[in-house]
Amino acid sequence: MELLSNIFVTPFADMIGAPDFLMQVIWEGLVSGVLYALIALGFVLIFRSSRIFNFAQGIMVVFAALTLVGLHELGLPAWVAFAGTLAVMFVLAVVIERVVLRPLIGQPDIILFMATIGITLFLVGGGEIIFGGENKVMISDELGIPDGSYEFNPFDGFLLLEARDVTVVFGAVVMVAALLVFLTYSKMGRAIRALGDDSTAALSVGISLTTIWVLVWFMAGIIALMTGIAWGSRAGVSFALEIIALKALPVLMLGGLESITGAIVGGLMIGVLEKLFEIYWGQPLLGGSTEAWFAYVLALTVLLFRPQGLFGEKIIERV
Amino acid sequence: MADGSPISDDLRSIPRLLARNARAFGDKAAYREKELGIWQNWTWAETAEEVEALALGLMTLGLAPGDHVAIVGRNRPHFYWSMVAVQAAGGVPVPVYQDSVAEEIAYVLDHCGARYAVVEDQEQVDKIIEVKDRLPNLETIAYVDPRGLRKYDHEHLKPFVEVQEAGRAARTELGGELKARSDALGWDDTCVMLYTSGTTGRPKGVVLSNRNIIETSKASADFDHLTQGEAILAYLPMAWVGDFIFSVGQAYWCGFCVNCPESATTMYENLHEIGPSYFFAPPRYFEERITILTIRMEDASRIKRWMFWTAMDFAKRVGPALLDEKPVSAMDRFKYWLGDIFVYGPVRNRAGMSSVRVAYTAGEAIGPEIFEFWRSLGINLKQLYGQTEASVFITQQPDHEVRADTVGVPSPGVEIKIADSGEVFYRSPGVFQEYYKNPDSTASTKDEEGWVATGDAGFFEEGTGHLRIIDRAKDVGKTASGALFAPKYVENKLKFFPNILEAVVHGAGREMCAAFINIDLTAVGNWAERNNIAYASYQELAGHPEVLSTIQGHIEEVNASLAEDDMLSGCQIHRFLVLHKELDADDGELTRTRKVRRNIIAEKYDDLIAALYDGSKEVSTETEVTYEDGRKGSIKATLEVRDAKVFEVKALEAAE
Amino acid sequence: MNAMAGNYTTADGRKIGGTLMEMKHITLKFGGVTAIKDISFDIFEGEIRAIIGPNGAGKSSMLNVISGFYHPQEGEVWFKGAKRPTMKPWAVARQGIARTFQNIALFDGMTVLDNVMTGRLTHMKRGLFAQALWFGAAEREEIENREFVEKIIDFLEIQHIRKIPVGRLPYGLKKRVELARALAAEPQLLLLDEPMAGMNVEEKEDMSRFILDVNDEFGTTIALIEHDMGVVMDLSDRVVVMDYGRKIGDGTPDEVRSNQEVIDAYLGVKHD
Repeated sequence: MELLSNIFVTPFADMIGAPDFLMQVIWEGLVSGVLYALIALGFVLIFRSSRIFNFAQGIMVVFAALTLVGLHELGLPAWVAFAGTLAVMFVLAVVIERVVLRPLIGQPDIILFMATIGITLFLVGGGEIIFGGENKVMISDELGIPDGSYEFNPFDGFLLLEARDVTVVFGAVVMVAALLVFLTYSKMGRAIRALGDDSTAALSVGISLTTIWVLVWFMAGIIALMTGIAWGSRAGVSFALEIIALKALPVLMLGGLESITGAIVGGLMIGVLEKLFEIYWGQPLLGGSTEAWFAYVLALTVLLFRPQGLFGEKIIERV
Repeated sequence: MADGSPISDDLRSIPRLLARNARAFGDKAAYREKELGIWQNWTWAETAEEVEALALGLMTLGLAPGDHVAIVGRNRPHFYWSMVAVQAAGGVPVPVYQDSVAEEIAYVLDHCGARYAVVEDQEQVDKIIEVKDRLPNLETIAYVDPRGLRKYDHEHLKPFVEVQEAGRAARTELGGELKARSDALGWDDTCVMLYTSGTTGRPKGVVLSNRNIIETSKASADFDHLTQGEAILAYLPMAWVGDFIFSVGQAYWCGFCVNCPESATTMYENLHEIGPSYFFAPPRYFEERITILTIRMEDASRIKRWMFWTAMDFAKRVGPALLDEKPVSAMDRFKYWLGDIFVYGPVRNRAGMSSVRVAYTAGEAIGPEIFEFWRSLGINLKQLYGQTEASVFITQQPDHEVRADTVGVPSPGVEIKIADSGEVFYRSPGVFQEYYKNPDSTASTKDEEGWVATGDAGFFEEGTGHLRIIDRAKDVGKTASGALFAPKYVENKLKFFPNILEAVVHGAGREMCAAFINIDLTAVGNWAERNNIAYASYQELAGHPEVLSTIQGHIEEVNASLAEDDMLSGCQIHRFLVLHKELDADDGELTRTRKVRRNIIAEKYDDLIAALYDGSKEVSTETEVTYEDGRKGSIKATLEVRDAKVFEVKALEAAE
Repeated sequence: MNAMAGNYTTADGRKIGGTLMEMKHITLKFGGVTAIKDISFDIFEGEIRAIIGPNGAGKSSMLNVISGFYHPQEGEVWFKGAKRPTMKPWAVARQGIARTFQNIALFDGMTVLDNVMTGRLTHMKRGLFAQALWFGAAEREEIENREFVEKIIDFLEIQHIRKIPVGRLPYGLKKRVELARALAAEPQLLLLDEPMAGMNVEEKEDMSRFILDVNDEFGTTIALIEHDMGVVMDLSDRVVVMDYGRKIGDGTPDEVRSNQEVIDAYLGVKHD
């Protein structure tokens, strides 16, 4: 009886009893959700245009962040280092297309997937040789990301928003909006969508496979850099960052591999729900650390009822 | 304009109304048409200029007062201008159904002796050229859309824009003559001539005068308080009297804007974009939209479906009461308001009916369920009863007095009497002048005192004074046992089932009633898909045993309800079959306005009727069909004949 | 015989120009199988040129050679008076050659409008990356392209399905959308791979009318493959007949019809 009450009554009573704290928890959840969404977006972009499940998206985040910090350490001003990192990501996209993807055109999906594992290993190895294995500090201040925090007093309580988090959320929203506009309304965006749909048809209207792939991997690189800056300014820059790619998996399971909306909503949902669960159920009942597995359980539960994910195309078999 | 004052002399023709509108609302929109994905706009002032140019252009071609000009095309501003331009130049516009086959066009153009035709495109030009040698009077065909026509011999062809250019060039020369002709238009001169498709025989040319059109337009506009601010979508055939009254008569009288769809197939989308305030559609349309909505709801999530049906059930109770301004409790008002936000509003919006203030339906009986559905959404859908010969309006339903089973009270200025035979007669300012070159028919339809026979049987309901129509007067017959036989009444009951598109009931002079059924491909096809029933063709689906069982269920339901009415219990359907092809106007089985042509069907399918009555279990047949391009072919089929359960008659036999 | 030399006016008043494309001694092999064997023919500007033959004659392979999907082992492709180097299909498309596919290749997840808009990609004035980064100019271009595409949509009478995802359309309409997408490229040469395949009589007539109208209205040079002889003979100015990878006839429909080898091929080989 007491257990039931602890599960079904107490958490909600706590939420209503301290709405300011609830808001704080939701905000924290949203901030991590935004990052999950960003990384899932990188996956979706590449999958939609080339049917490749890009295992390397996580390491690209680390690689981009390390490059940025590394270039700064070489004495370049922060913004020059930023531009330099973009250039590096572009070169990386070109190289991946030339060296890995182009020779593998027409191979089964699983081969391409294996190839992205290869890219991952290469980036891990290469990264350690170039930048060393120790942790680094993100150059947030140098990039002009504000420090400090904003305090509010809703419901006569107390709510604290880190300025850094606000910047991250704001930056992510702007970037995603720009991405959506680009994909929906621009000619190149249309070409990207077209290529994902039917590559033969795309060729026949003059879409060059290789150009689009470079573009898409470059875009995934930009997203990786943004994610790296955001996450790195909270937790420091190290190869451990790669684990956030694992967070993207349940997001993709939830949102579907092809849906941009799915990636965004799925990411935010998992961010908020895992935080709520941790605070109100996990810590009092299970001793905490539920964030490590909660997202997977949630995603699997959803898959039981909707195999195509929340936003995937409905699978209709026709006679 | 909403007053009962007489119509002043300077408003007594359509060209004069145009001049008034160009003066009074010169910069307001008169026409809109969607072209290349964008709504194009013409103000009243621009319209006056376009019409004048065209009128002068037609005069340069030699149009003389009294000449007939055929107009064949879908609803486009050009063809509305053409009608007014022909009138201004003293001629008589004759709009023709654009889906008529060459043969039908030949008859009309020959009968009215048209010297000119303004047509839409290659398709229409081809049809006229095909029969050109039988039309010695026809001199010039002006076409709007030049596509595919460039290589044609242009001896008798001229692009619409060139006619207008010639007119503009001749303005100084012919302007005076045009003005003289327009000024000479009299109150009783012909305004327009419309050919009725009629359920039997050749089409008849109904001559309507300026007085007919303008008085009727004024009276009906007053009745529904129409203003300059209305917006309508012109999508019904231009050759139909209703479109002429709504899109020309009332539009010019009030000065409101006529919107033309991009093409016939984009009508739903365009309706949604325009959001008309005043709307007319046949019952079939309202039915079709519910079918589509229901299908969409079947595919929606369970929560949505639950929300939709709960809200609709509630609306059925409260919606019509709110429309009729009957007392409704505050709680119910609040609930309806909630429903409006989540369900009714979005549904109305989807159907393009968000701004509708007045909507009418007519032509056929509308299913009570269907009628109530729209009214419960808060749409002021009403019924009217009309005819080409009456310039549309005979009766109509005033606001707050709307019901599914009546057609309303006599329209302003209309007198009605019911003959002993039950046939309805009327007399009004809208009564037509004559059938063109057909004095016999004129005399048999309109007597010296101006009373016109409608051909429909009906009666006034006691207490309310509303008219109820039973059936065509000549179609109300007796079965062999002497029981009343009202086929249309039964057919309408059957057609209220979404699965049934068309029904033809036989039984006059027979021992029992039997029926042909046409399934509705949209509804039945969707059902088949949901139930994993594979089918390769319409014919195969129509013959599927499960489909037959469903139809049988519908028929038995109708039989049960007929058995409750002792007058009509003799109309119960004993046997039926589902036809292997859709009844089609191209095959002459329906009129162009989609009314069943009983005699032709009886003749064409006599083998099937025989099978209905000789007790056989199935019947093989071969039927000739006409394809859209006019070629003929035939289809063979073996149809199953089924018995339906009939019910004990509750009261005494209807026979005396 | 002027019809084989180009630069003449047809009976119905269309202007036929000089050579637009010339295939010289094309041989195409897949492994050991020879799909096309030493075939040469030309296509004049403004004409409707058909390639016919029984199933397996190598017609589709020939179309794929023209559109750059296959690269012949021997022979030369000449386009607009210059020899064409080996090119990727997308590069061929940008040269002004648009095509449709026998089995329809559309972007099913995108709307009809978006599908047709992709046809305008070859008319991009700026480089790909400039497009991605420079929105102002791109938007102006987008509007111009939309206007052009709307004309095509109107021309092919597909306004009512503008906003519908292509995957939901019936077969006949898909074929029309595919034609619209090819036309949107304003091609100098339009390749149609069995445009009537799988259509009923009425749809075939519609499609024939559209093909003739396209040629007439835009002056587009059209090369098409069909195995429905009747349709081809009515539509085309000149016909190449292929059988077992060889060319067995070339000329006006009348000439081809009276060619003994063609008659034999069509009588001797079963085709549907």
